[in-house]
Amino acid sequence: MKRHLILLLLLCLLAPSLWAAPDGKALYEAHCSACHQSEGKGGIGLPLTGEILSQLSDDYIAKTIRNGRPGRIMPAFVALSDAQVKAILQYIRSWSNQPAPVYPKLAVKGDPAQGKPLYKKHCQRCHGADGSGEGTGTGVTLSREREFMVMPAALNNPGFQRSASDAMIADIIRRGRKVGGMPAFRKKLTDEQIGDVVAYVRTLKSPPPIRGMREWAGKPAYIMESPYSFEDTVQALRQALTGANFRIFPPRYLEQGLTDEFSVNKKQLGIRFCNFKELYHLLNIDPRMGTVLPCRINVLERNGKVLLVSPNVVEVARLFNNRELLEVAVIMEEIILGVMEEATL
Amino acid sequence: MKRLLFSLLLFAAVLPVRAEETLLMVRVNMKAADAMEVLKETIREYGYEVAHVQRCDGGMAEFDYKTDFYRVVFFGKLEEVRGILDAYPEMAPFLPLKIAVIAEEDQTVLASIDPVALSRLYGHSRVLRVQFARWHNDIQAILEEMRDFRKK
Repeated sequence: MKRHLILLLLLCLLAPSLWAAPDGKALYEAHCSACHQSEGKGGIGLPLTGEILSQLSDDYIAKTIRNGRPGRIMPAFVALSDAQVKAILQYIRSWSNQPAPVYPKLAVKGDPAQGKPLYKKHCQRCHGADGSGEGTGTGVTLSREREFMVMPAALNNPGFQRSASDAMIADIIRRGRKVGGMPAFRKKLTDEQIGDVVAYVRTLKSPPPIRGMREWAGKPAYIMESPYSFEDTVQALRQALTGANFRIFPPRYLEQGLTDEFSVNKKQLGIRFCNFKELYHLLNIDPRMGTVLPCRINVLERNGKVLLVSPNVVEVARLFNNRELLEVAVIMEEIILGVMEEATL
Repeated sequence: MKRLLFSLLLFAAVLPVRAEETLLMVRVNMKAADAMEVLKETIREYGYEVAHVQRCDGGMAEFDYKTDFYRVVFFGKLEEVRGILDAYPEMAPFLPLKIAVIAEEDQTVLASIDPVALSRLYGHSRVLRVQFARWHNDIQAILEEMRDFRKK
């Protein structure tokens, strides 16, 4: 009886969220506005201006919300219900009051072999030879320099391939896009040639997965035991970091600031370090990097053992859904492990 | 019965989690310097200590890199940090918790790693899963308060 009562109570608590009509504005603010800005001006994410929306069908936007863009920041919102996605769409459309374009679902006829040289001539400079998009960083910048205001679409991205219809791609080629600087090709290419380019775009393969070192895969942190005392390990770590061209900040105890200076555990020290050139580069790739900054290797004494503990940068980079960042993380992994090995030699 | 209750509580704790989002982010309609001050107050209201603020922009500006206001606020509860580090030294890189404060003209983006996203790496520990869910709920609530600050 009690069990039924508890379940009933839980259902009552959940019920309002089940029957209430989804609020598109609230959902947009909760899930989208941090990247796309409150009225779609764009930020870390693509601008959702009237011009851009006039070329994107509801089906494309809904599928983009669902599929995201693997490796290009936009997450896949798989947990949103169809009604919630529809509510977000209606809210986005309310900004311009323009009707959504509707594209035929039939595949555009074309020959990829004919489309390949056309792609190379007209598209490759911005979209890349493999279709992964050229240029530094992703999204619009407001505080840092970028090569493009809006990054050229990653045409080989599985999220894009699953979301965009042939007819929509053909329409964008035909009409271009002012915001992204994409020229209109309606006077340069015939409909048949545009069909060939679309057919070629469909052959672009998604890039291979990026992997870090196998022995550390799936682990949250790199941990190494030091044969030296706590103080000697700290000294050795500082030397190794200096040797690797890092600038070292004053160290901080992990509990520092959480308690008074007499109670703080002095055998848990974070050695913070930075290479500002690399930091600037990383923040250009992904401005959200601050959530894992600064670089820090921790020295802990525990049960008579001295441990060096650093975040597994490859696994942490995966949280950002940013392939460019992951590529850098693989290089960083080698550098950090090199430093840790040198300090514990 | 106890097991059922525990499962329900755990379910309720994890319920607001949106597994597909690995970062928690909000846009705040305030300049970054103001947003950071309000953020520090809000963090304290939730029972956390603000441990320190890292000035990422200061270092970059020193080296003549173009950058806007960019800070990281570190925070935590001593007993939580102590207990977790004692049992799980591999958690050291993620403690204290942090929220990045990123200026975007007159607005500010606040971002934090979603602690629940770390479950993938620490999946074996039920204690950590529950702790991650608690941190998630607190950070989410702090960020939502920040987002709605001007509406009060």
